[in-house]
Amino acid sequence: MNSVIVVILGFIVAFIGYRVYAKYVDEKIMQADPKRVTPAKMYMDGVDFMPTNRNILFGYQFKSIAGAGPIIGPIIAIQWGWLPALIWILLGTFFIGWVQDYSTAMISMRKDGASLGGLSHKLISPRARILLLSFIYFYLLLIAGAFGNVVVSTAINLKSSPMAWLFLTIGGVLAGQMIYRWRVDILVTTIVTVAIALFGIWLGSVAPSNKIIGDSLANSRWLWAIAAFVFCYFAAVLPIWRFALPINYVASYIVFLGLFFGIIGILILHPDFTLPAYTSFTIKIGPLWPIMFVTIACGAISGWHSLVSSSGTARQLENELDARPVTAGVMFVEMILAIFALIIAGTIYASPSEYGAAIAKGPAGVFAAGVSKFLGALGLPAEAGRAYGSVMMIMLAITIMQLVIRFMRIATSELLSDISPVFRNAHVGTIIASLLGALLVLTGWWQYLWVLFGGANQLMASLALMVITAYLMSEGKPAAYAFYPMIFMFVTTIGALIYTSFNLLQKVFSGAVKGEALIGNALMGVVGLFLVVAAFILGWEAIKAFNRYKTIRAQEAGAKA
Amino acid sequence: MGNSCEKNGFLQAVRDFLFGFVAYGPAQVAVKTRANMEDLFMIVTVGGMLGIPIFSSYYSLRFLPYMVPRITTWKRRLLREKDFTDILEE
Repeated sequence: MNSVIVVILGFIVAFIGYRVYAKYVDEKIMQADPKRVTPAKMYMDGVDFMPTNRNILFGYQFKSIAGAGPIIGPIIAIQWGWLPALIWILLGTFFIGWVQDYSTAMISMRKDGASLGGLSHKLISPRARILLLSFIYFYLLLIAGAFGNVVVSTAINLKSSPMAWLFLTIGGVLAGQMIYRWRVDILVTTIVTVAIALFGIWLGSVAPSNKIIGDSLANSRWLWAIAAFVFCYFAAVLPIWRFALPINYVASYIVFLGLFFGIIGILILHPDFTLPAYTSFTIKIGPLWPIMFVTIACGAISGWHSLVSSSGTARQLENELDARPVTAGVMFVEMILAIFALIIAGTIYASPSEYGAAIAKGPAGVFAAGVSKFLGALGLPAEAGRAYGSVMMIMLAITIMQLVIRFMRIATSELLSDISPVFRNAHVGTIIASLLGALLVLTGWWQYLWVLFGGANQLMASLALMVITAYLMSEGKPAAYAFYPMIFMFVTTIGALIYTSFNLLQKVFSGAVKGEALIGNALMGVVGLFLVVAAFILGWEAIKAFNRYKTIRAQEAGAKA
Repeated sequence: MGNSCEKNGFLQAVRDFLFGFVAYGPAQVAVKTRANMEDLFMIVTVGGMLGIPIFSSYYSLRFLPYMVPRITTWKRRLLREKDFTDILEE
C-alpha cells in the first residue's frame, strides 16, 4: 500500500475529528464562551498570565508536546504490523487524545489557571493531589530512563551524532552568552549559532566518534550515559538562560527544519509500505493488547500533554474559543507526525528482517535512516542526512530529559524537604534524579523501559481524564466523552504496567539477571507496581468524588421538583 | 471580546506559529527572570504586605508611588498556589 493513502487517511480523520467531533464538544458540552474572561485577561500580570495570540500558542504547544514520543512509539509498534499501529494512532487521537488535551486546558482555564495538581485537589480530594504529585515523580523517572536510553543508543549506534551533539551544545551556550550578556541582535545570534550546529552535523559525518576517541570508548554505554546525565545536570543547576534555554532554542531550528523538509521528502518519494500490515498478536515485548497501546503514546494520547495544557497554555489563552485550535488542533497535527514516523519505519527497509536487525539496535537508527532517505530526495547526501537525523533524535530526547531532571530536582525538594533540609539543595536533588535515571539506562532493556514509560504516560492521561470527568459531573454536563476513554485507558495501562512489571520481577526472582541488571530490573518492576497502586488509590478517590457529585445533582434535581 | 489574530493573514499566522515554536519559550523565560528580580526588590521594600517586615518604612514610603500599580498583581503572583508542575511553563 502506498504511504500517501495513509497520509490522506490521516488528514481525513484529523479534519473530521477537529471540525465535527471536537467542535461538537466545544460548542454543546463545554460551551466555550467568547465573552467569558479567561485567567490570562483577568489577571494579566505579564508573567504567568499573559493573553497570547493563538497562532503563537499553537507553535508553542506543538513544540512542548512533540518530542521523541510520537516518533519512537510508531517505529517500535510497527513490529505488530503497520495496520494495528495506524488504527490506534487514528482512533486513539480521534476519541481520546484531543479530548484530554482540550478538556484539561478548558477546565484549568475555568478554574483560574490551576495546575493538574491543583485541579485534582479541588475536584477529587486533597489526598489525590499528593498521590498525583508522587505519581508524577516516578513517571518522570521513567521518562529520564526511556529517553536517556534513546540518547545513549543513538550516540553508540550513530557515530556521527556525538560530534553534532557537541557542536550544538557549543552553539547553544554561545547563543545564551550572545543574547543575554553581549546583547547581540537575535537574528545575528540565530544565524551564527544555527550555522555552528549545522557545521557540527557535517563534521560528525566526516569525523565519527570512533575515529576520534577509538572504538572502545565510542561503544561505551557508560561514557554516553555519563555524558547525557552530566548534560542534564548542567541544565538543571545552571541558570536557565546560560545552558538549557539557548540550547533548546538552537535545537528548535534543527528539529523544525528536519521535520519540515523530511515531510516534504516523504511526499516527493511517496514510498510503498514494505513491512507487513499485520504480523502477530504477541511479539517479544508482549501482546498487542495492552502493550501496543502504551508503546505508541504521544502520537495517540499522552498524559504529558495534560501537564503542558494546564500549567502553561491555559494561563495564556486569551479567548475560550482558542482552546480548540491550540490544544485539539495541535494534537491532530501530532497524529500526522506519528503517521510520518510510521511511514519512515514501514517503507525504508526492503524486508522485515532488515527492519528487525535495525530496530534491535534502537529506534534512532531507523529514524536517522529515514531522515537520510527523505532528505536525500531534496539533495542532501546520505551520510549528512543520517547525521542530521541522529542529532534530531538526540535533541528531541535530551530536551525533554533536561526538563525532567529539573522537574525532579524541584519535586525532590517539595516532597522530601520536610524529612531533611539537605533535599532542598539543588545539587542533591539533581544528583539523586540523575543517578536513578542513569541506573535505569545502564541496566534496563530499552524496549521494556519504553513500554513502562508509555504505560506511566498513558496512565497519567487516564488520571487527567478522571479529573476531567469529575469536573463535568460537578457541573452537571454530559461526561461520557471523557468517562469511557478514561475507563479504556485505565484498564489498558494498568494491564500493561502489571504485565511488564511482572515480567521484570519474575526475571529478578528467578535469578535470570544478575549484577547491575538485577538492580535495574528490580527498580523498574517496583516503580511500575508503585504506579499501579497509586493509580488504584486515585481511582478510588475519583469514584468517591463521582458519587459525591451524583448525589449533589440528584438532590438539586429533587429540590427543583 | 475580540481576538488579536482575527485581522492577521495566513503569512502572519505562519510567522506567529514559528515564533511560538522557537522563540516564545525563551521570551517567557526572559519575562519571568525580570519578574523574579522585581519580586526581590518588592519583597525587600514592601514585604510587609506579605507579612515579611524587612525594610525601613521610610524607604517603603519613598518607593510606594512607583510600586502601587504593580502591588496587586505582584501579591497574586507570589501568593498563588503552586506545585512543581508549574515549571513546565518555562
